[in-house]
Amino acid sequence: MRLELENVSMVYQSGTPFSARALEDVSLTVEPGERLAVAGPVGSGKSTLLAILAGVETPTSGRVIHGTREISRRQTPPPGSIGLAFQSPENCLFEKTVYSDVSFAPRRQGLDGLEVRRRVENALAAVGMDPASMGQRSPFSLSIGEQRRVALAGVLAMEPRALLLDEPTAYLDPAARRDLIRQLVELNEQTGVTMVMVGHDMDELARFAGRLVIIDGGRKVAEGRAEIILTDSALLARHSLDPPGTVEFCSLLSAAMGDQVAPALSEEQTIETLMQIMEGKC
Amino acid sequence: MQVSNMVVGQYYPGTSILHRVDPRTKIIAACAFVIVLFMVNGFEGLAVMGAGLAAVIALAGIPLPWLWRGLKPVLFLLVITLAFQMFLSGGEELWRLGPVPVYRNGLVQGAFLTARLLLLVLSGSILTFSTPPVLLTDALGRLMEPLAKLKIPAYELALMMTIALRFIPTLVMEVDRIIKAQKARGAVTSGGGLLVRARGIMPVLVPLFVMSFRHADELALAMESRCWRGGRGRTIRRKLAFSKKDAVFATAVLAVLAASLWIGRLQ
Repeated sequence: MRLELENVSMVYQSGTPFSARALEDVSLTVEPGERLAVAGPVGSGKSTLLAILAGVETPTSGRVIHGTREISRRQTPPPGSIGLAFQSPENCLFEKTVYSDVSFAPRRQGLDGLEVRRRVENALAAVGMDPASMGQRSPFSLSIGEQRRVALAGVLAMEPRALLLDEPTAYLDPAARRDLIRQLVELNEQTGVTMVMVGHDMDELARFAGRLVIIDGGRKVAEGRAEIILTDSALLARHSLDPPGTVEFCSLLSAAMGDQVAPALSEEQTIETLMQIMEGKC
Repeated sequence: MQVSNMVVGQYYPGTSILHRVDPRTKIIAACAFVIVLFMVNGFEGLAVMGAGLAAVIALAGIPLPWLWRGLKPVLFLLVITLAFQMFLSGGEELWRLGPVPVYRNGLVQGAFLTARLLLLVLSGSILTFSTPPVLLTDALGRLMEPLAKLKIPAYELALMMTIALRFIPTLVMEVDRIIKAQKARGAVTSGGGLLVRARGIMPVLVPLFVMSFRHADELALAMESRCWRGGRGRTIRRKLAFSKKDAVFATAVLAVLAASLWIGRLQ
Protein backbone atom coordinates (compact mmCIF):
# COMPACT_ATOMS: atom_id res chain seq x y z
CA MET A 1 0.00 0.00 0.00
CA ARG A 2 1.28 3.48 -0.86
CA LEU A 3 1.50 5.84 2.10
CA GLU A 4 1.71 9.57 1.53
CA LEU A 5 2.27 12.63 3.66
CA GLU A 6 1.53 16.01 2.13
CA ASN A 7 2.94 19.15 3.79
CA VAL A 8 2.44 17.68 7.23
CA SER A 9 3.15 19.83 10.29
CA MET A 10 2.66 18.86 13.90
CA VAL A 11 2.61 21.00 17.03
CA TYR A 12 2.07 19.30 20.39
CA GLN A 13 0.02 21.14 23.04
CA SER A 14 -0.37 24.15 20.79
CA GLY A 15 -1.57 27.31 22.51
CA THR A 16 0.05 26.46 25.84
CA PRO A 17 3.44 27.37 27.32
CA PHE A 18 4.44 23.76 26.60
CA SER A 19 3.74 24.06 22.89
CA ALA A 20 6.34 22.04 20.98
CA ARG A 21 6.82 21.85 17.24
CA ALA A 22 7.62 18.29 16.19
CA LEU A 23 7.29 18.39 12.41
CA GLU A 24 7.33 21.17 9.87
CA ASP A 25 6.03 20.86 6.33
CA VAL A 26 7.10 17.28 5.67
CA SER A 27 6.05 15.57 2.44
CA LEU A 28 6.90 11.93 1.89
CA THR A 29 5.78 9.04 -0.28
CA VAL A 30 6.31 5.41 0.71
CA GLU A 31 6.00 3.20 -2.38
CA PRO A 32 4.19 -0.15 -2.11
CA GLY A 33 6.53 -2.98 -1.13
CA GLU A 34 9.58 -0.84 -0.44
CA ARG A 35 11.74 -0.78 2.67
CA LEU A 36 12.15 2.82 3.77
CA ALA A 37 14.25 3.93 6.72
CA VAL A 38 13.71 7.20 8.57
CA ALA A 39 16.84 8.35 10.35
CA GLY A 40 17.66 11.39 12.42
CA PRO A 41 19.09 12.49 15.75
CA VAL A 42 17.16 12.05 19.00
CA GLY A 43 14.20 14.43 19.21
CA SER A 44 14.13 15.15 15.48
CA GLY A 45 10.49 14.12 15.03
CA LYS A 46 11.03 10.60 13.66
CA SER A 47 8.59 8.93 16.04
CA THR A 48 5.96 11.59 15.46
CA LEU A 49 6.37 11.10 11.72
CA LEU A 50 5.76 7.38 12.11
CA ALA A 51 2.69 7.85 14.32
CA ILE A 52 1.20 10.28 11.80
CA LEU A 53 2.04 7.98 8.90
CA ALA A 54 0.21 5.19 10.74
CA GLY A 55 -2.84 7.38 11.27
CA VAL A 56 -2.85 7.12 15.08
CA GLU A 57 -1.78 10.74 15.48
CA THR A 58 -3.54 13.52 13.59
CA PRO A 59 -1.25 16.23 12.24
CA THR A 60 -1.92 19.89 13.03
CA SER A 61 -1.96 20.57 9.29
CA GLY A 62 -1.35 18.64 6.09
CA ARG A 63 -2.80 15.49 4.54
CA VAL A 64 -2.19 11.79 5.18
CA ILE A 65 -3.15 9.36 2.41
CA HIS A 66 -3.19 5.55 2.60
CA GLY A 67 -3.60 4.10 -0.89
CA THR A 68 -6.49 6.15 -2.26
CA ARG A 69 -8.00 6.96 1.09
CA GLU A 70 -7.42 10.18 3.00
CA ILE A 71 -6.87 9.61 6.71
CA SER A 72 -8.21 11.99 9.35
CA ARG A 73 -9.47 11.94 12.92
CA ARG A 74 -12.87 10.78 11.66
CA GLN A 75 -11.57 8.60 8.85
CA THR A 76 -9.16 6.24 10.59
CA PRO A 77 -7.38 3.50 8.62
CA PRO A 78 -9.37 0.25 8.37
CA PRO A 79 -8.41 -2.12 11.23
CA GLY A 80 -5.57 -4.44 10.34
CA SER A 81 -4.34 -2.48 7.33
CA ILE A 82 -1.44 -0.84 9.17
CA GLY A 83 0.82 -2.71 11.54
CA LEU A 84 2.41 -0.28 13.97
CA ALA A 85 5.04 -1.09 16.58
CA PHE A 86 6.00 1.80 18.84
CA GLN A 87 9.32 1.89 20.67
CA SER A 88 9.58 -1.02 23.10
CA PRO A 89 6.35 -2.70 21.91
CA GLU A 90 6.88 -5.42 24.54
CA ASN A 91 5.47 -2.93 27.05
CA CYS A 92 2.05 -3.61 25.55
CA LEU A 93 1.99 -7.37 26.14
CA PHE A 94 -0.88 -8.26 28.43
CA GLU A 95 -2.27 -11.75 27.81
CA LYS A 96 -1.55 -14.86 29.87
CA THR A 97 0.19 -16.77 27.10
CA VAL A 98 2.27 -15.91 24.08
CA TYR A 99 -0.30 -17.58 21.84
CA SER A 100 -3.23 -15.54 23.10
CA ASP A 101 -1.28 -12.29 22.93
CA VAL A 102 -0.21 -12.84 19.34
CA SER A 103 -3.72 -14.00 18.40
CA PHE A 104 -5.34 -10.94 20.01
CA ALA A 105 -5.56 -8.85 16.83
CA PRO A 106 -6.75 -11.65 14.48
CA ARG A 107 -9.37 -12.70 17.03
CA ARG A 108 -10.50 -9.06 17.15
CA GLN A 109 -10.75 -9.08 13.39
CA GLY A 110 -13.30 -11.87 13.78
CA LEU A 111 -11.36 -14.53 11.87
CA ASP A 112 -12.23 -18.20 12.38
CA GLY A 113 -10.13 -20.44 14.62
CA LEU A 114 -8.20 -22.14 11.84
CA GLU A 115 -7.18 -18.88 10.20
CA VAL A 116 -6.20 -17.40 13.58
CA ARG A 117 -4.01 -20.43 14.23
CA ARG A 118 -2.37 -20.18 10.81
CA ARG A 119 -1.63 -16.50 11.30
CA VAL A 120 -0.19 -16.91 14.80
CA GLU A 121 2.07 -19.72 13.63
CA ASN A 122 3.23 -17.75 10.60
CA ALA A 123 3.81 -14.62 12.65
CA LEU A 124 5.82 -16.40 15.33
CA ALA A 125 7.83 -18.23 12.67
CA ALA A 126 8.51 -14.93 10.89
CA VAL A 127 10.22 -13.56 14.01
CA GLY A 128 12.11 -16.79 14.51
CA MET A 129 10.09 -18.29 17.33
CA ASP A 130 8.77 -21.82 17.60
CA PRO A 131 4.97 -21.67 18.12
CA ALA A 132 4.87 -25.17 19.63
CA SER A 133 7.36 -24.56 22.42
CA MET A 134 6.69 -20.84 23.05
CA GLY A 135 2.93 -20.65 22.56
CA GLN A 136 1.83 -21.64 26.04
CA ARG A 137 4.46 -19.69 28.01
CA SER A 138 3.64 -16.46 29.78
CA PRO A 139 5.05 -13.49 27.86
CA PHE A 140 6.27 -12.03 31.16
CA SER A 141 8.58 -15.01 31.73
CA LEU A 142 10.56 -14.26 28.56
CA SER A 143 13.66 -12.14 28.07
CA ILE A 144 13.26 -8.62 26.67
CA GLY A 145 14.50 -9.80 23.27
CA GLU A 146 11.95 -12.62 23.19
CA GLN A 147 9.19 -10.32 24.41
CA ARG A 148 10.06 -7.92 21.60
CA ARG A 149 9.65 -10.74 19.07
CA VAL A 150 6.31 -11.75 20.56
CA ALA A 151 5.09 -8.16 20.41
CA LEU A 152 6.18 -7.83 16.78
CA ALA A 153 4.51 -11.16 15.99
CA GLY A 154 1.34 -9.71 17.51
CA VAL A 155 1.52 -6.92 14.93
CA LEU A 156 2.44 -9.25 12.05
CA ALA A 157 -0.51 -11.54 12.87
CA MET A 158 -2.85 -8.87 11.49
CA GLU A 159 -1.13 -9.43 8.12
CA PRO A 160 -0.99 -5.66 7.59
CA ARG A 161 -0.29 -4.18 4.18
CA ALA A 162 2.23 -1.81 5.69
CA LEU A 163 4.46 -2.35 8.69
CA LEU A 164 5.72 0.70 10.61
CA LEU A 165 8.44 0.09 13.17
CA ASP A 166 9.87 2.58 15.66
CA GLU A 167 13.41 1.49 16.58
CA PRO A 168 12.53 -2.19 16.68
CA THR A 169 16.06 -3.16 17.74
CA ALA A 170 16.50 -0.73 20.65
CA TYR A 171 17.71 -2.39 23.89
CA LEU A 172 18.40 -5.72 22.12
CA ASP A 173 21.78 -7.42 22.17
CA PRO A 174 23.86 -7.31 18.96
CA ALA A 175 23.03 -10.86 17.83
CA ALA A 176 19.30 -10.31 18.34
CA ARG A 177 19.49 -7.04 16.40
CA ARG A 178 21.13 -8.67 13.43
CA ASP A 179 18.59 -11.54 13.46
CA LEU A 180 15.63 -9.22 13.67
CA ILE A 181 16.78 -7.06 10.76
CA ARG A 182 17.44 -10.17 8.65
CA GLN A 183 13.97 -11.53 9.47
CA LEU A 184 12.33 -8.22 8.57
CA VAL A 185 14.14 -8.09 5.23
CA GLU A 186 13.15 -11.70 4.50
CA LEU A 187 9.54 -10.99 5.38
CA ASN A 188 9.48 -7.99 3.07
CA GLU A 189 11.00 -9.98 0.21
CA GLN A 190 8.62 -12.92 0.67
CA THR A 191 5.33 -11.06 1.21
CA GLY A 192 5.98 -7.65 -0.34
CA VAL A 193 4.66 -5.85 2.73
CA THR A 194 5.60 -2.16 2.74
CA MET A 195 7.99 -1.37 5.58
CA VAL A 196 9.01 1.86 7.25
CA MET A 197 11.59 1.70 10.01
CA VAL A 198 12.74 4.50 12.27
CA GLY A 199 16.23 4.23 13.67
CA HIS A 200 19.59 5.86 14.11
CA ASP A 201 21.98 2.95 13.90
CA MET A 202 23.35 3.35 10.38
CA ASP A 203 24.88 -0.14 10.20
CA GLU A 204 21.44 -1.53 10.78
CA LEU A 205 19.72 0.81 8.35
CA ALA A 206 22.36 -0.08 5.73
CA ARG A 207 21.32 -3.73 5.98
CA PHE A 208 17.62 -2.89 6.00
CA ALA A 209 16.76 0.03 3.80
CA GLY A 210 16.31 0.44 0.09
CA ARG A 211 15.63 4.11 0.52
CA LEU A 212 16.43 6.53 3.31
CA VAL A 213 14.96 9.77 4.63
CA ILE A 214 16.75 11.98 7.14
CA ILE A 215 14.73 14.12 9.52
CA ASP A 216 16.32 16.85 11.61
CA GLY A 217 14.61 19.52 13.68
CA GLY A 218 11.21 18.40 12.37
CA ARG A 219 12.16 18.93 8.71
CA LYS A 220 13.01 16.47 5.98
CA VAL A 221 16.62 17.30 5.14
CA ALA A 222 17.56 14.45 2.79
CA GLU A 223 15.92 11.64 0.85
CA GLY A 224 17.32 9.12 -1.59
CA ARG A 225 18.66 5.63 -2.32
CA ALA A 226 20.34 4.14 0.75
CA GLU A 227 23.69 3.68 -1.02
CA ILE A 228 23.79 7.39 -1.87
CA ILE A 229 22.69 8.80 1.48
CA LEU A 230 24.67 6.38 3.61
CA THR A 231 27.94 7.02 1.78
CA ASP A 232 27.62 10.80 2.12
CA SER A 233 29.60 11.16 5.35
CA ALA A 234 29.46 14.96 5.30
CA LEU A 235 25.66 14.95 5.10
CA LEU A 236 25.36 12.40 7.92
CA ALA A 237 27.79 14.32 10.13
CA ARG A 238 25.76 17.52 9.65
CA HIS A 239 22.81 15.75 11.28
CA SER A 240 24.72 14.08 14.13
CA LEU A 241 24.68 10.67 12.43
CA ASP A 242 27.56 8.27 11.82
CA PRO A 243 28.09 6.51 8.49
CA PRO A 244 27.98 2.69 8.60
CA GLY A 245 31.22 1.03 9.75
CA THR A 246 32.00 -0.28 6.28
CA VAL A 247 31.73 3.20 4.75
CA GLU A 248 34.00 4.59 7.43
CA PHE A 249 36.47 1.75 6.82
CA CYS A 250 36.54 2.52 3.09
CA SER A 251 37.17 6.20 3.68
CA LEU A 252 40.01 5.41 6.12
CA LEU A 253 41.41 3.03 3.51
CA SER A 254 41.20 5.76 0.86
CA ALA A 255 43.13 8.13 3.12
CA ALA A 256 45.79 5.52 3.92
CA MET A 257 46.29 4.49 0.29
CA GLY A 258 46.08 8.00 -1.07
CA ASP A 259 43.70 6.55 -3.62
CA GLN A 260 39.92 6.77 -3.92
CA VAL A 261 38.21 3.54 -2.75
CA ALA A 262 34.52 3.22 -3.56
CA PRO A 263 32.56 3.13 -0.28
CA ALA A 264 30.91 -0.22 0.46
CA LEU A 265 27.60 -0.71 2.28
CA SER A 266 28.03 -4.26 3.50
CA GLU A 267 30.78 -6.56 4.76
CA GLU A 268 30.51 -8.67 1.58
CA GLN A 269 30.93 -5.63 -0.60
CA THR A 270 33.92 -4.48 1.46
CA ILE A 271 35.64 -7.84 0.99
CA GLU A 272 35.03 -7.62 -2.75
CA THR A 273 36.63 -4.17 -2.84
CA LEU A 274 39.61 -5.43 -0.84
CA MET A 275 40.03 -8.39 -3.17
CA GLN A 276 40.06 -6.08 -6.19
CA ILE A 277 42.68 -3.87 -4.56
CA MET A 278 44.86 -6.86 -3.72
CA GLU A 279 44.57 -8.27 -7.24
CA GLY A 280 45.57 -4.90 -8.63
CA LYS A 281 48.59 -4.72 -6.33
CA CYS A 282 49.92 -8.20 -6.98
CA MET B 1 -10.40 10.31 23.40
CA GLN B 2 -7.22 12.37 23.31
CA VAL B 3 -5.81 11.50 26.71
CA SER B 4 -2.67 13.55 26.22
CA ASN B 5 -4.71 16.74 26.29
CA MET B 6 -5.76 16.23 29.89
CA VAL B 7 -4.09 18.38 32.48
CA VAL B 8 -4.54 17.31 36.06
CA GLY B 9 -2.79 19.82 38.24
CA GLN B 10 0.02 20.49 35.82
CA TYR B 11 2.15 23.51 36.80
CA TYR B 12 1.55 26.57 34.64
CA PRO B 13 4.71 28.70 34.65
CA GLY B 14 4.26 32.37 35.50
CA THR B 15 5.51 35.28 37.55
CA SER B 16 2.24 36.54 39.03
CA ILE B 17 1.89 37.45 42.67
CA LEU B 18 0.17 34.11 43.26
CA HIS B 19 3.21 32.30 41.87
CA ARG B 20 5.44 34.21 44.27
CA VAL B 21 3.40 33.84 47.45
CA ASP B 22 4.91 31.30 49.87
CA PRO B 23 3.56 27.84 48.98
CA ARG B 24 2.68 27.24 52.64
CA THR B 25 0.35 30.22 52.58
CA LYS B 26 -1.28 28.84 49.47
CA ILE B 27 -1.72 25.37 50.94
CA ILE B 28 -3.27 26.74 54.13
CA ALA B 29 -5.47 29.09 52.13
CA ALA B 30 -6.66 26.22 49.90
CA CYS B 31 -7.41 24.05 52.96
CA ALA B 32 -9.30 26.88 54.66
CA PHE B 33 -11.18 27.51 51.45
CA VAL B 34 -12.29 23.87 51.23
CA ILE B 35 -13.36 23.78 54.89
CA VAL B 36 -15.41 26.95 54.53
CA LEU B 37 -16.81 25.56 51.28
CA PHE B 38 -18.47 22.80 53.25
CA MET B 39 -19.69 25.13 56.00
CA VAL B 40 -21.42 27.60 53.72
CA ASN B 41 -25.07 27.06 52.94
CA GLY B 42 -26.95 28.74 50.15
CA PHE B 43 -25.95 30.08 46.81
CA GLU B 44 -25.04 33.56 48.06
CA GLY B 45 -22.15 32.23 50.12
CA LEU B 46 -20.93 30.10 47.23
CA ALA B 47 -21.21 33.11 44.92
CA VAL B 48 -18.89 35.15 47.16
CA MET B 49 -16.40 32.27 47.28
CA GLY B 50 -16.64 31.85 43.53
CA ALA B 51 -15.99 35.53 43.00
CA GLY B 52 -12.95 35.31 45.29
CA LEU B 53 -11.64 32.31 43.38
CA ALA B 54 -12.23 34.06 40.06
CA ALA B 55 -10.18 37.00 41.32
CA VAL B 56 -7.33 34.64 42.28
CA ILE B 57 -7.47 32.95 38.87
CA ALA B 58 -7.33 36.33 37.15
CA LEU B 59 -4.43 37.32 39.42
CA ALA B 60 -2.49 34.17 38.58
CA GLY B 61 -2.98 34.82 34.87
CA ILE B 62 -3.99 31.25 34.15
CA PRO B 63 -5.73 31.27 30.75
CA LEU B 64 -9.28 29.93 30.66
CA PRO B 65 -8.60 27.19 28.08
CA TRP B 66 -5.94 25.79 30.41
CA LEU B 67 -8.41 25.86 33.30
CA TRP B 68 -11.03 24.21 31.16
CA ARG B 69 -8.68 21.40 30.15
CA GLY B 70 -7.94 20.81 33.81
CA LEU B 71 -11.66 20.55 34.54
CA LYS B 72 -12.51 18.17 31.72
CA PRO B 73 -11.67 14.96 33.59
CA VAL B 74 -14.09 15.80 36.42
CA LEU B 75 -16.83 17.06 34.14
CA PHE B 76 -18.39 13.61 34.07
CA LEU B 77 -18.61 13.55 37.86
CA LEU B 78 -20.25 16.98 37.90
CA VAL B 79 -22.86 15.99 35.32
CA ILE B 80 -23.62 12.74 37.16
CA THR B 81 -24.08 14.64 40.43
CA LEU B 82 -26.48 17.06 38.85
CA ALA B 83 -28.42 14.33 37.02
CA PHE B 84 -28.82 12.11 40.09
CA GLN B 85 -30.14 14.96 42.20
CA MET B 86 -32.38 16.29 39.45
CA PHE B 87 -34.10 13.04 38.54
CA LEU B 88 -34.04 10.92 41.69
CA SER B 89 -34.66 13.19 44.65
CA GLY B 90 -38.48 13.04 44.63
CA GLY B 91 -40.76 15.80 45.91
CA GLU B 92 -42.39 18.57 43.92
CA GLU B 93 -42.29 18.04 40.19
CA LEU B 94 -40.93 21.02 38.28
CA TRP B 95 -41.22 19.84 34.68
CA ARG B 96 -40.83 16.71 32.62
CA LEU B 97 -37.93 15.84 30.36
CA GLY B 98 -39.82 13.43 28.11
CA PRO B 99 -41.11 10.75 30.45
CA VAL B 100 -38.67 11.64 33.24
CA PRO B 101 -39.77 14.05 35.94
CA VAL B 102 -37.38 16.78 37.12
CA TYR B 103 -37.81 17.72 40.77
CA ARG B 104 -37.53 21.28 42.03
CA ASN B 105 -35.72 20.32 45.22
CA GLY B 106 -33.39 18.07 43.30
CA LEU B 107 -32.55 20.73 40.76
CA VAL B 108 -31.68 23.24 43.46
CA GLN B 109 -29.75 20.66 45.50
CA GLY B 110 -27.99 19.35 42.42
CA ALA B 111 -26.97 22.80 41.27
CA PHE B 112 -25.65 23.58 44.76
CA LEU B 113 -23.65 20.36 45.03
CA THR B 114 -22.28 20.75 41.51
CA ALA B 115 -21.19 24.32 42.23
CA ARG B 116 -19.56 23.23 45.46
CA LEU B 117 -17.71 20.39 43.71
CA LEU B 118 -16.62 22.73 40.96
CA LEU B 119 -15.18 25.23 43.44
CA LEU B 120 -13.49 22.37 45.31
CA VAL B 121 -11.73 21.10 42.21
CA LEU B 122 -10.84 24.61 41.06
CA SER B 123 -9.30 25.65 44.37
CA GLY B 124 -7.09 22.54 44.38
CA SER B 125 -6.13 23.06 40.75
CA ILE B 126 -5.14 26.68 41.33
CA LEU B 127 -2.73 25.55 44.02
CA THR B 128 -0.94 23.08 41.75
CA PHE B 129 -1.22 25.33 38.68
CA SER B 130 0.69 28.09 40.44
CA THR B 131 3.20 26.06 42.47
CA PRO B 132 6.07 24.00 41.05
CA PRO B 133 6.08 20.45 42.50
CA VAL B 134 9.42 20.88 44.27
CA LEU B 135 8.14 23.86 46.24
CA LEU B 136 4.96 21.97 47.02
CA THR B 137 6.96 19.13 48.60
CA ASP B 138 9.09 21.53 50.62
CA ALA B 139 6.01 23.34 51.85
CA LEU B 140 4.09 20.18 52.70
CA GLY B 141 7.12 18.81 54.50
CA ARG B 142 7.51 21.99 56.53
CA LEU B 143 3.82 22.14 57.35
CA MET B 144 3.84 18.56 58.57
CA GLU B 145 7.05 18.97 60.57
CA PRO B 146 5.22 18.99 63.92
CA LEU B 147 3.87 15.54 63.04
CA ALA B 148 7.40 14.15 63.04
CA LYS B 149 7.42 14.57 66.81
CA LEU B 150 4.59 12.01 66.88
CA LYS B 151 6.83 9.60 64.92
CA ILE B 152 4.85 10.19 61.76
CA PRO B 153 7.23 10.27 58.76
CA ALA B 154 6.12 13.74 57.67
CA TYR B 155 8.79 14.42 55.07
CA GLU B 156 8.33 11.00 53.46
CA LEU B 157 4.58 11.55 53.28
CA ALA B 158 5.10 14.91 51.62
CA LEU B 159 7.51 13.36 49.14
CA MET B 160 5.04 10.57 48.35
CA MET B 161 2.33 13.09 47.57
CA THR B 162 4.61 15.05 45.29
CA ILE B 163 5.85 11.97 43.49
CA ALA B 164 2.25 10.93 42.91
CA LEU B 165 1.51 14.38 41.52
CA ARG B 166 4.66 14.35 39.42
CA PHE B 167 3.78 11.02 37.84
CA ILE B 168 0.26 11.92 36.74
CA PRO B 169 1.38 13.48 33.43
CA THR B 170 3.86 10.65 32.86
CA LEU B 171 1.20 8.02 33.36
CA VAL B 172 -1.24 9.96 31.21
CA MET B 173 1.30 9.99 28.40
CA GLU B 174 1.93 6.30 28.82
CA VAL B 175 -1.76 5.46 28.83
CA ASP B 176 -2.06 7.45 25.63
CA ARG B 177 0.72 5.47 23.99
CA ILE B 178 -0.61 2.13 25.18
CA ILE B 179 -4.12 2.95 23.96
CA LYS B 180 -2.75 3.91 20.56
CA ALA B 181 -0.64 0.78 20.32
CA GLN B 182 -3.49 -1.52 21.37
CA LYS B 183 -5.97 0.27 19.13
CA ALA B 184 -3.62 -0.42 16.25
CA ARG B 185 -4.03 -4.09 17.19
CA GLY B 186 -7.80 -3.76 17.16
CA ALA B 187 -8.49 -3.34 20.87
CA VAL B 188 -11.74 -1.50 21.53
CA THR B 189 -11.39 1.04 24.31
CA SER B 190 -14.62 2.94 23.91
CA GLY B 191 -18.16 2.04 22.93
CA GLY B 192 -19.88 -1.33 23.28
CA GLY B 193 -21.67 -2.77 26.30
CA LEU B 194 -20.38 -2.76 29.84
CA LEU B 195 -18.86 -6.23 29.56
CA VAL B 196 -17.17 -5.45 26.25
CA ARG B 197 -15.78 -2.26 27.67
CA ALA B 198 -14.56 -3.92 30.85
CA ARG B 199 -12.76 -6.50 28.74
CA GLY B 200 -11.51 -3.78 26.43
CA ILE B 201 -9.69 -2.11 29.28
CA MET B 202 -7.50 -5.13 30.10
CA PRO B 203 -5.08 -4.57 27.20
CA VAL B 204 -4.48 -1.09 28.63
CA LEU B 205 -4.59 -1.86 32.34
CA VAL B 206 -2.14 -4.77 32.43
CA PRO B 207 0.70 -2.96 30.59
CA LEU B 208 0.03 0.17 32.64
CA PHE B 209 0.43 -1.73 35.93
CA VAL B 210 3.53 -3.54 34.73
CA MET B 211 5.08 -0.23 33.74
CA SER B 212 4.05 1.57 36.93
CA PHE B 213 5.71 -1.06 39.07
CA ARG B 214 8.81 -0.85 36.93
CA HIS B 215 8.84 2.95 37.27
CA ALA B 216 8.48 2.68 41.04
CA ASP B 217 11.32 0.16 41.23
CA GLU B 218 13.59 2.25 39.08
CA LEU B 219 12.82 5.44 40.97
CA ALA B 220 13.50 3.77 44.31
CA LEU B 221 16.79 2.41 43.00
CA ALA B 222 17.80 5.77 41.57
CA MET B 223 17.02 7.54 44.85
CA GLU B 224 18.92 4.99 46.90
CA SER B 225 21.94 5.11 44.61
CA ARG B 226 22.05 8.86 45.15
CA CYS B 227 22.07 8.31 48.91
CA TRP B 228 18.50 9.34 49.68
CA ARG B 229 17.89 8.49 53.31
CA GLY B 230 14.57 10.11 54.07
CA GLY B 231 14.08 13.48 55.65
CA ARG B 232 16.63 13.14 58.46
CA GLY B 233 19.35 15.74 58.30
CA ARG B 234 18.15 17.07 54.98
CA THR B 235 18.85 20.68 54.19
CA ILE B 236 16.91 22.86 51.80
CA ARG B 237 18.55 25.18 49.31
CA ARG B 238 15.52 27.32 48.71
CA LYS B 239 14.55 28.59 52.16
CA LEU B 240 10.87 29.29 52.50
CA ALA B 241 10.09 32.60 54.11
CA PHE B 242 6.87 34.45 54.75
CA SER B 243 6.83 38.02 53.49
CA LYS B 244 4.53 40.98 53.12
CA LYS B 245 2.97 39.38 50.06
CA ASP B 246 1.83 36.47 52.18
CA ALA B 247 0.24 38.76 54.73
CA VAL B 248 -1.67 40.60 52.00
CA PHE B 249 -2.75 37.39 50.29
CA ALA B 250 -3.79 35.71 53.57
CA THR B 251 -5.78 38.76 54.66
CA ALA B 252 -7.60 38.86 51.33
CA VAL B 253 -8.45 35.17 51.51
CA LEU B 254 -9.60 35.50 55.12
CA ALA B 255 -11.80 38.45 54.20
CA VAL B 256 -13.48 36.51 51.38
CA LEU B 257 -13.98 33.45 53.56
CA ALA B 258 -15.40 35.49 56.43
CA ALA B 259 -17.73 37.32 54.07
CA SER B 260 -18.99 34.10 52.53
CA LEU B 261 -19.53 32.54 55.96
CA TRP B 262 -21.39 35.64 57.09
CA ILE B 263 -23.61 35.67 54.03
CA GLY B 264 -24.07 31.90 54.19
CA ARG B 265 -25.22 32.17 57.80
CA LEU B 266 -27.92 34.70 56.97
CA GLN B 267 -29.91 31.94 55.33
